[in-house]
Amino acid sequence: MTRAYGPRLALDDVHLALEPGELTFLVGPSGAGKTTLLKLINREIRPTKGEVWVDGIAAHKIKASRVSELRRRVGVVFQDYKLLPRLTAKENVALALQVVDLRVSDEEASERAIDALEAVGLGDRGESFPDQLSGGQQQRVAVARAVVAQPPLLIADEPTGNLDVDTSWEMMDLFADIAAFGTAVLIATHNVEIVTRLQRRVLTLVEGRLVRDQPAGRTGRMEWLALS
Amino acid sequence: MAGVVVKGRFPRRRIIRVVSTNVFRYLFRGAARNWLRNIGGTAPALSSMTLLLLLSGLVGLVGFALHNLEQVQAGQASMLHVYLRDAAPYVDIDALQARLQKDPRIASVAYTSKADALARAQGTPGLPQLAAATDSNPFPASLDVRVKNIEDVAAIDGLVRNDIAVDAAQPTSYDRGAYQRIQAVLFGFAVAGFTFLALLGFVAVTVTMNSIRAAIHSRRDEVTIMQLVGAPRWMVRGPFVVEGAITGALSGATAALITFGLAMLGIAEGSSTFTQFAPGVTVTVAAIAGVIVFAAGLCLGSGSSLVSVRRHLES
Repeated sequence: MTRAYGPRLALDDVHLALEPGELTFLVGPSGAGKTTLLKLINREIRPTKGEVWVDGIAAHKIKASRVSELRRRVGVVFQDYKLLPRLTAKENVALALQVVDLRVSDEEASERAIDALEAVGLGDRGESFPDQLSGGQQQRVAVARAVVAQPPLLIADEPTGNLDVDTSWEMMDLFADIAAFGTAVLIATHNVEIVTRLQRRVLTLVEGRLVRDQPAGRTGRMEWLALS
Repeated sequence: MAGVVVKGRFPRRRIIRVVSTNVFRYLFRGAARNWLRNIGGTAPALSSMTLLLLLSGLVGLVGFALHNLEQVQAGQASMLHVYLRDAAPYVDIDALQARLQKDPRIASVAYTSKADALARAQGTPGLPQLAAATDSNPFPASLDVRVKNIEDVAAIDGLVRNDIAVDAAQPTSYDRGAYQRIQAVLFGFAVAGFTFLALLGFVAVTVTMNSIRAAIHSRRDEVTIMQLVGAPRWMVRGPFVVEGAITGALSGATAALITFGLAMLGIAEGSSTFTQFAPGVTVTVAAIAGVIVFAAGLCLGSGSSLVSVRRHLES
């Protein structure tokens, strides 16, 4: 796929495929096109050229009125969590269930939201509002919201950007667990230590081009990434 | 019971209930809550739309009355009163009446005596005082000629004006151009009314659209989150349209009540003069005007917010 902003190419002829159960890191310097790639997958923007397929849906040509069908298949986690401040943690998670399927009752949504919060270690904080939670806890709620509808793909844009080191590792364990259940997980990050230590597949973008696609277990020390 | 298959009913009723609850929550309850929260920003739209609808209702009622008045005037203009000399002999009057009845341009001819003319004047505002000012009956006898086509009234006037039975000082009621003057005034009123309402409507729609745009911008994060978690487009846009509909409905209800109240007040306070100057405006007409004003408010509010949402809320 290719995506241009005026004369500038944000993504230049990038080819990639993600498999179910695979945890993949997307790395590269600022402005390399990581966020653009995630936005293309979630159909926040369209490619200038090329195709984006998500679980059988052509994201590159889906109509605006049907984008919700695509987004039901993509869980999204952001650096700034993007939780609704006037809803509790449980309500934030339940919202993601009910807006995609109006047949989900309050009781069912509540039960599934609590299950998802327990899965991310926040079973006892369901009634807390976002401003009553730490950054790491808010990010966990965001992850619970992203996976509660069991999407085949989870994308995360700098999910550890606002977290301390210990919390970042906890988040990575969480993403690894999610992938272990069969969800394809794509994480855009600058965190070199996490990428090198976890030894998962790494996609490297530089100036919009996919310059490296290293399979899991062969990422080495990646000094070049630290330098970038 | 082994081997027996119990056919369970698909819980359709429960699904309908759950879906209805969720639609109500995300579309209407959320919209009402946000409308209340944003009432400061909505107040200008509410007041300008109320003013527009109130004036529309009043102008509509006045327009309806003027339309009826124009019909009355058209009827009166096609009626030519041929005033008879007080001393005119019956044979001359009968001859004139017979001549007019034979004319194919004339629908009917009726004789009105001086006594009938006085009785008719008693029911016309202003004329009883004139009648009381003199001992004798000042109103002449007449032949009331109903002309089929209003364009022929001038020709009939010319035909009878010099007849021996006709009063030479004031031969007929014909007033050249009177009807045209009334039509010109009504046309001017209609143009001015529509222009004024169009201007006010433009202001009201613009203010409402801007208030919805402000609401969209103030809830930009919420909208983004709803879109990102996969909310369908109607669920993201719908609450804003409902907010506009609430504004329109409240404005419409207020304007409808005031319109109806003013019409009722007019009918109650001056029943005789009111029917004279606003013919056809009854309680039923006032109620219908109120309903139309309310419906217009609902359409205006939801329509302008829909336009604003389509313009300012990208998917």
